[in-house]
Amino acid sequence: MRNTVITGYARSPFHFATKGELARVRPDDLAAQVIRGLIERTGVDAGDIEDIILGCAFPEGEQGLNVARLIGLLADLPLSVGGMTVNRFCGSSMSAIHIAMGQIQLGAGEVFVCAGVESMSRVPMMGYNPLPNPALAAKSAAYMGMGETAENVATKYQITRTEQEAFALESQHKAAAARDGGKLADEIVPIQTKKGLVSEDGTIRADTTTEGLAALKPAFDAQGSVTAGTASPLTDGASAVLVTSEDYAREHGLHILARIKSVGIAGCAPEIMGIGPVGASTKALERAGISVGDLNVVELNEAFASQALACMRDLGLKPDTVNIDGGAIAIGHPLGATGARIVGKAASLLKRDGGKYALATQCIGGGQGIATVLEAAE
Amino acid sequence: MTDPIRKVCVIGAGVMGAGIAAQVANAGVPVLLLDIVRDPTNRNAIAEGAVAKMLKTDPAPFMSTKAAGLIEPGNIEDDLAKVATCDWIIEAVVERLDIKHDLFAKLEAVRRPGTAISSNTSTIPLDRLVERRSDAFKRDFLITHFFNPPRYMRLLEIVTGSATDPAIVAKVEAFADRAMGKTIVHAKDTPGFIANRIGTLWIQLALNAAFDLGLTVEEADAIAGKPMGVPKTGIFGLMDLVGIDLMPHLQKSLTETLPKDDAYQAIARSIPLIEKMIAEGSIGRKGKGGFYRLNPDMNRRREAIDLATGEYREKEKATGPSGPAAKGDLNALIATEGEVGDYAWGILGGTLSYAASLIPQAADDVVAIDDAMKLGYNWKSGPFEMIDKIGAANLVRRLEAEGKPVPELLKLAGDRAFYRVENGKRQYLGLDGAYHDIVRPEGVLRLEDIKLASQPLLRSGSAALWDVGDGVATLEFTGKMNALDGDVMKLIGQAIPLVQKSFKALVVYNDGNNFSAGANLGLALFALNIAAWSEVEKLVAGGQKAYKALKYAPFPVVGAPAGMALGGGCEILLHCDAIQAHAELYTGLVECGVGLIPGWGGCGEMIQRWRDAPFMPKGPMPAVAKVFETVSTATVSKSAAQAKELMFLRPDDGITMNRDRLLADAKAKALALVDGYQPPAPPEFRLPGESGHVGLNMAAQSFRKRGLATDYDMVVSDALAGVLTGGSADLVDTVSEQDMLKLERDAFMLRVRDVRTIARVEHMLETGKPLRN
Repeated sequence: MRNTVITGYARSPFHFATKGELARVRPDDLAAQVIRGLIERTGVDAGDIEDIILGCAFPEGEQGLNVARLIGLLADLPLSVGGMTVNRFCGSSMSAIHIAMGQIQLGAGEVFVCAGVESMSRVPMMGYNPLPNPALAAKSAAYMGMGETAENVATKYQITRTEQEAFALESQHKAAAARDGGKLADEIVPIQTKKGLVSEDGTIRADTTTEGLAALKPAFDAQGSVTAGTASPLTDGASAVLVTSEDYAREHGLHILARIKSVGIAGCAPEIMGIGPVGASTKALERAGISVGDLNVVELNEAFASQALACMRDLGLKPDTVNIDGGAIAIGHPLGATGARIVGKAASLLKRDGGKYALATQCIGGGQGIATVLEAAE
Repeated sequence: MTDPIRKVCVIGAGVMGAGIAAQVANAGVPVLLLDIVRDPTNRNAIAEGAVAKMLKTDPAPFMSTKAAGLIEPGNIEDDLAKVATCDWIIEAVVERLDIKHDLFAKLEAVRRPGTAISSNTSTIPLDRLVERRSDAFKRDFLITHFFNPPRYMRLLEIVTGSATDPAIVAKVEAFADRAMGKTIVHAKDTPGFIANRIGTLWIQLALNAAFDLGLTVEEADAIAGKPMGVPKTGIFGLMDLVGIDLMPHLQKSLTETLPKDDAYQAIARSIPLIEKMIAEGSIGRKGKGGFYRLNPDMNRRREAIDLATGEYREKEKATGPSGPAAKGDLNALIATEGEVGDYAWGILGGTLSYAASLIPQAADDVVAIDDAMKLGYNWKSGPFEMIDKIGAANLVRRLEAEGKPVPELLKLAGDRAFYRVENGKRQYLGLDGAYHDIVRPEGVLRLEDIKLASQPLLRSGSAALWDVGDGVATLEFTGKMNALDGDVMKLIGQAIPLVQKSFKALVVYNDGNNFSAGANLGLALFALNIAAWSEVEKLVAGGQKAYKALKYAPFPVVGAPAGMALGGGCEILLHCDAIQAHAELYTGLVECGVGLIPGWGGCGEMIQRWRDAPFMPKGPMPAVAKVFETVSTATVSKSAAQAKELMFLRPDDGITMNRDRLLADAKAKALALVDGYQPPAPPEFRLPGESGHVGLNMAAQSFRKRGLATDYDMVVSDALAGVLTGGSADLVDTVSEQDMLKLERDAFMLRVRDVRTIARVEHMLETGKPLRN
């Protein structure tokens, strides 16, 4: 079996949808700039890239058609580089990594750009034409709004509003500290916009307080506990990781961040989709032959504080290993871009902080989870 | 034609200055808004703050958020030289002569000669303002006195000096009238001009009399409100609205500037309770409450202040006048025995004779005074219109009997009225003792004038058809609230062949404050209560037929709405070829609020508009979802500009700022469509069917979860979603306009039979507010 490694990670700054500084940037332009940045930073020979595999949750409008191919052309990559758009909602760009790993195993290429993008400003969540299947809508929660699923998880796992707010506050403070400590600068590719260069996240609210969070109204259910403060914001952003065979990386002197040890996908009930990471992570850990206790770094996507807390509890994760530089509540969650961000981030943290194993996992609308286990590649 | 005004500068970003700037911006004209520098780190903070505050104010000073972008905030120290790029400079700084003098001296140095300069002063005489200024400055200078809030109050008092250049006045007036929508009243350079001078005396008389007669605030307002035709709030309610603290300022300035023998001097007095209220911050709605308040400590209990003790107590219902005295018969009102009559006479006797004493001192004629009070103080009738109701001779007799002075003008009138109609023209009594035609400004056309001089072409119980000249006919609604019923629909049916035969175009218009409140709910409820379902269905089908007949008539139809155009009143506009709307247009499809859905073709018309908008995404859902969002929440526009954003108006529909110019503008728009007119082709729809229906219901459910919709809202919005998505149509089917009408009718008839709908209709009729069941 051939080893697959992560040899680079980059992302755009993340900004609030509609009111943020990336609202007027087309998603294809955004992703092209990030991919260009990734290639420049890693020093990989663009001619060796087999394919761009790009995740997007609502691939319509400006992120429609086969946008991965268009982004490759926009980024002036050699015409020989392919492009494929994949959709697994929030898990899209993590799936892109899994697909690349599979391709490498198949002997179908050595070098892959695995990216993700979502402009939640320019393409609405649910897309322009939501047309649910009436029969399925009648018998399942397949189309349930994400906020409602977060409320369901909070109820089922008895996560109080206070716990959610404490978690959100910590996420904001960790992200702000990481930013202020210059720990996010390396991963961010400044984005050229009509108004100038944007090089910092616009989503982090360093001044978040317990009182401020407590004063917010429930966002999805008048009787509920989930607020805008304990949910990830609608975000514009793009991310990319360079996935290669270990042989190629070593041959070409690429900087290896981590090796992919195992992956996992697992479905769950749509109405509690936020618990998806539990099944997927359990599978991936088992396949890696390690246990939760072996993990030094965990990137657990914070779609909502309630589901993140429920997953941590169910999996028995150590809080101090989880989202060390803050999570999506603070940094944002541009749906298609998040998977590549958290795998790239976990790999970078493993390298930076010197652990052995890392887990990146996230929940997915419709009822799924996806997970990737990384190991340090000395 | 005068020079146009392309840019305006307003100096002083207080409530008035900022509000004036907003109205200039509402007209689509850029405006520089300057104030002093108070914060060295942000030198434009005051003007910027004023704009930001106005974006949050309700009622909104801006007609659209886009208008706010036309205001350029600045400060007097850095930006004064920019006035050279402006064609009109409006000074609205604090009422201190030294400060105004200082500003004018600076302006003199930087302005372009020929730029109009006006002051929004309400108290300082023009001659004092231009002291030490050059002749050139004086030529360009006038007073333009706006009323608060500047967007909504239509009065603009203009005062000119002996040196003011008539061309400058014409330039300012043309802009204020056509772009800012103001009605101009020329006032003399006397203290308080017209409206505030009479208004202040009126308020003082009403306060004095209430205290002297020992009335409660409720009793006083029940007499001085609706029965007198002044704002229905009454005096105490009005003071709460405008701010009780304004009173001493006006009083002080008038007692200082009016001659010693002026009638106001004798009645001006400070009232200890009011002083105490101001000191405690109980200055009205903008403060902690005023004469009335909602007690925050007692679950927002409605309270009123006891005028004797100054303590708040629960609000009581006052009976007020009865019979004709309650319904506008002023003679009956002032003749009523006891407190009611005494109070009414105490106010009216003094106010009306004072108004009559101000010609020619403060105003040229009775029309100016009546316009000032109607448009500046929201009186239903002006003082001289009220005198006509009482009879000048009656008024004189009572004043004489009480030994009160009788103004010359009242003696001159004798048994005659101040207004009459002669040869189809409205005339007023001049100081020369003769009657003169009331001359409308050029381009002003009122249906009331046409009605004085002609007979309707057609008339029914709730509509009429008039010839407004140049080959244009006008359809007028005449029912209460201009409500729509079977008679209106029948008249439309009769009007179409008549207009086709003898006219070029049709304008749907009326002079009312509100274009139409929609279908006549009272009539509908009657039919519902006797379960006359076939009658109701006939009404729905009849309305659909009439509106579609208007849409496909072989001549252009232009809708000309002002004020509210709700439900069926909105739907008739949706069927017009074009709209010329007054800027103050409050329109929407509000049927869901009473448990119904639009039944007169509104659903299809709205889908077509959204679908055809060039910026809309493709596919079956985007237009349907937009219409669902707008209609299920009964969204009503807060201006004509916003009605365009909501697609109730099309992008090229016209907006008229001045209410009096609406009919003439609509007529011109209709005539412009005549050449080569082709009726529209019926639309065909591709609708999402059941899948889309499920999608819309899910969106509604999330509203319900958030506590923003009731159980019955879900039922009603489900019915609406069913129509908008084409019922059982499949994505690949073509849905015709007739199919849509059938879906509307069927869904309407299902809802109308529901007791929860009937409860909503009843509640709306009783309270004017929607029932949230």
